[in-house]
Amino acid sequence: MEQEKLLLKVEDMYKSFGITKALKGVSLSLRRGQILGLIGENGSGKSTLTSIVAAIQKADAGKIYLEGELCEFQNSVEANEKGVCMILQEKGTFDALTVAKNIFVGKESMFCKGGVLNNRAMNEAAQKALNAVGADYIKAAAPLASLNFEDRKLVEVARAMYLNPKILIIDETTTALSRNGRDILYQIMKRMKGEGRSVIFISHDIDELMEVCDTLTILRDGVYIDTLEKEQFDAALVRRLMVGREVSEDYYRSDTQSCKNEEVVLRMEHVTAKELKDVSFELHRGEILGFGGLADCGMHILGSVAYGNMEPDLGKVTAGDGTPIRSPKEAMNRRIAYISKNRDQESLMVASSIRDNICSASYAKLAKGPFIWEKAQNEFVDKWAGVLEVKMQGPGQYVMELSGGNKQKVALAKWLGFGADIFILDCPTRGIDIGVKSNIYALMQELRSQNKSIILISEELPEVIGMSDRTIILKDGRISGEFVREQNLTETMLIDYMV
Amino acid sequence: MEKIKANATKVDFQKIFPFLGLAAVLIFFGIFSGGRLFTAQNMKAILNDGLYIIVGASGYAFLFAMGILDFSIGANMAVSCAVACLAAKVNPWLALPAALLTGMLISGILGLVHVKAHVDAFITTLAGQFILNGLVLIVLDNSVQQAPLEMLKWFTLPLKLMILIGCLGAGYMMLEHGVYGKTGKLIGSCPEAARQTGINVGRYKLTAFVIMGALVGLLGFVSLIRTGTASSKTGSTLMMNVLNAALLGGLPMSGGPTTKFRGVIVGSLTMAFLTSGMTIMGYNVNTQQIVKGLIFLIAISISFDRKNMKVIK
Ligand SMILES: Nc1ncnc2c1ncn2[C@@H]1O[C@H](COP(=O)(O)OP(=O)(O)OP(=O)(O)O)[C@@H](O)[C@H]1O
Ligand SMILES: [Mg+2]
Repeated sequence: MEQEKLLLKVEDMYKSFGITKALKGVSLSLRRGQILGLIGENGSGKSTLTSIVAAIQKADAGKIYLEGELCEFQNSVEANEKGVCMILQEKGTFDALTVAKNIFVGKESMFCKGGVLNNRAMNEAAQKALNAVGADYIKAAAPLASLNFEDRKLVEVARAMYLNPKILIIDETTTALSRNGRDILYQIMKRMKGEGRSVIFISHDIDELMEVCDTLTILRDGVYIDTLEKEQFDAALVRRLMVGREVSEDYYRSDTQSCKNEEVVLRMEHVTAKELKDVSFELHRGEILGFGGLADCGMHILGSVAYGNMEPDLGKVTAGDGTPIRSPKEAMNRRIAYISKNRDQESLMVASSIRDNICSASYAKLAKGPFIWEKAQNEFVDKWAGVLEVKMQGPGQYVMELSGGNKQKVALAKWLGFGADIFILDCPTRGIDIGVKSNIYALMQELRSQNKSIILISEELPEVIGMSDRTIILKDGRISGEFVREQNLTETMLIDYMV
Repeated sequence: MEKIKANATKVDFQKIFPFLGLAAVLIFFGIFSGGRLFTAQNMKAILNDGLYIIVGASGYAFLFAMGILDFSIGANMAVSCAVACLAAKVNPWLALPAALLTGMLISGILGLVHVKAHVDAFITTLAGQFILNGLVLIVLDNSVQQAPLEMLKWFTLPLKLMILIGCLGAGYMMLEHGVYGKTGKLIGSCPEAARQTGINVGRYKLTAFVIMGALVGLLGFVSLIRTGTASSKTGSTLMMNVLNAALLGGLPMSGGPTTKFRGVIVGSLTMAFLTSGMTIMGYNVNTQQIVKGLIFLIAISISFDRKNMKVIK
């Protein structure tokens, strides 16, 4: 009977990368029609485990049984054919192709007749696939590069769902999605469950996991810790199992004081750019200024414009002393730092080493004449990677090998080392576990106490409310509300201004 | 992920691959030339050929690091040499400055087109090559020009060594320890992230073009004092030799942190010995060109590219 229901069984999985032991004998089982949540700190091996199941990489040891049969997929295409699909944590699409070609990448032959690709047929099929997941507003013929971060993820969802998988693995995709995108995913998961198919769902959001999953499996440092059934779910318990010790829930600021300093350090005046329409605000010294809203409300562009990264169509950005900020270089001259939401493509050089990344913003400081010596760099890296407790093999390790949370720490270390006075942080805790999250919040408070200013852009309202001295809500590119900390804000109060 | 792992082993292979190539060339031609490859006489010839390759590759490394391919260097060298020759007829001392300035100007213009007009570097420099091939014929008035004979005496061993050591030393220090080289590698690693780190990507690229131009100009001058003539054939093998040297040295086509100066040296030596070996074995220039073309094809197909995998991950 039990056997009947078992869809997937993973036994004693081991995987190492050099000296890093990512998985140490992990076992897992998945029933038909089950939604299994997978949770663990950054680097605990969630992506490694699931990508082995999807045959994206190979295990050192361990067995996988699909419907009772031992399977040894040679590659992910074979796994796809056998009904195992995975939506990757990192960007898994190709900018240069159209949406349709992204959906059918590797399967173009389906639409070939006599060696000629029938674009129309492909676009129609792709549109169907998009409609089927409820993303009908994305046009199949559009180039992928024209889509925003969220819609690209949905294209990946459509690609996976087109294959009608028995097992769908969703690796930290929801943090890239707004409410609408998340609902699409939840719908899909529910439908699959109803049809007796299964989902493995990875997320750092405990509330989300407890709501959508049937069982929760916890990993810590590559070791299987426990599996909880729905009736055992308890946020505090999950946190404790994850981290291995008691962690409190309130890691936001505890004070209710707002910043009283009137000195302006950054000013945006009547800026219109892409979605943004006539936005003005002032950032004060020692202030955390939060921006919230829906994904397409323009807040991500606001961060980019404030850093001089993107030129506004109208309006201007100036530093406190009135000097204009029109390029990242000018921003850095005013000691402004920026971490994009699209961290891996814009804020880090993932193909370079941790050393190169952390030092990259500080070459002027580290150089002796026209040269930079290894020793100075290593000391610098030791210091700042140490402050942020980056888990790494050494400064020479490539950033692309790090887990999400550690990548974010490297990006932060780069700007801390640079000695920025103003931090523009776009979704700084995206894809980051609760441990590192509370570190980042603590860091933000420390920066604030050192009289540095922070612009915090986030889709997580509790985070914006919990950390900011002042919260600005954007709606359709315009400021729809502004609130100071003292007002005892709640999420529901702000949502009215967002939609 | 799978690709990353493949890449990890590839990186190790990348380290030894250049040395394997050099060893293969040394052993093959060492045996088949009956040891003639290593005679003092031949070493001198290798130094002469190797000089062009090493000087060219030293500059090329910086372009490579940023992920730029320059197809115009051979034609640029021909024009620089031709202009230097005309200048030498006025006064021999004008030859060097004329060559350097011409080289820098040409490369600078191509660099500007690439950076400002956002034309792909590959397209820009290929177009540049066609244009320069025509230009050199005009400058030379469709014939071979003779430089003043006394200039031949300038081509001495100390000068050669000075140029060689100067290029190697400066190139190594700049690429491996210099702010300039490190920044260039960051650009090759991810141009957008480099830009958001306050790096003026356009200016760095332009500088790399101008440095390349200066070195190509220098080679034009060297060619003039070595042969005493300037012709449209000058520098015709430079492009292929230098590109092959970079690839055989294991430099990744897309640039980035794995661009190593060590690779430049080993790759250049490989090409120098290969050229000389083939000459000893009696292959004419045309046959050599065919062999080098094949090597180019092979080197490209196994070239080490981190970028290829980044999208897939
Ligand atoms: N290609 C690789 N090379 C070297 N180390 C790697 C590689 N891939 C993963 N690792 C290491 O293996 C460990 C597990 O990584 P994994 O990506 O599975 O973590 P994760 O649980 O998905 O974390 P996150 O929540 O940050 O996504 C980490 O320590 C990571 O640094
Ligand atoms: Mg992961």
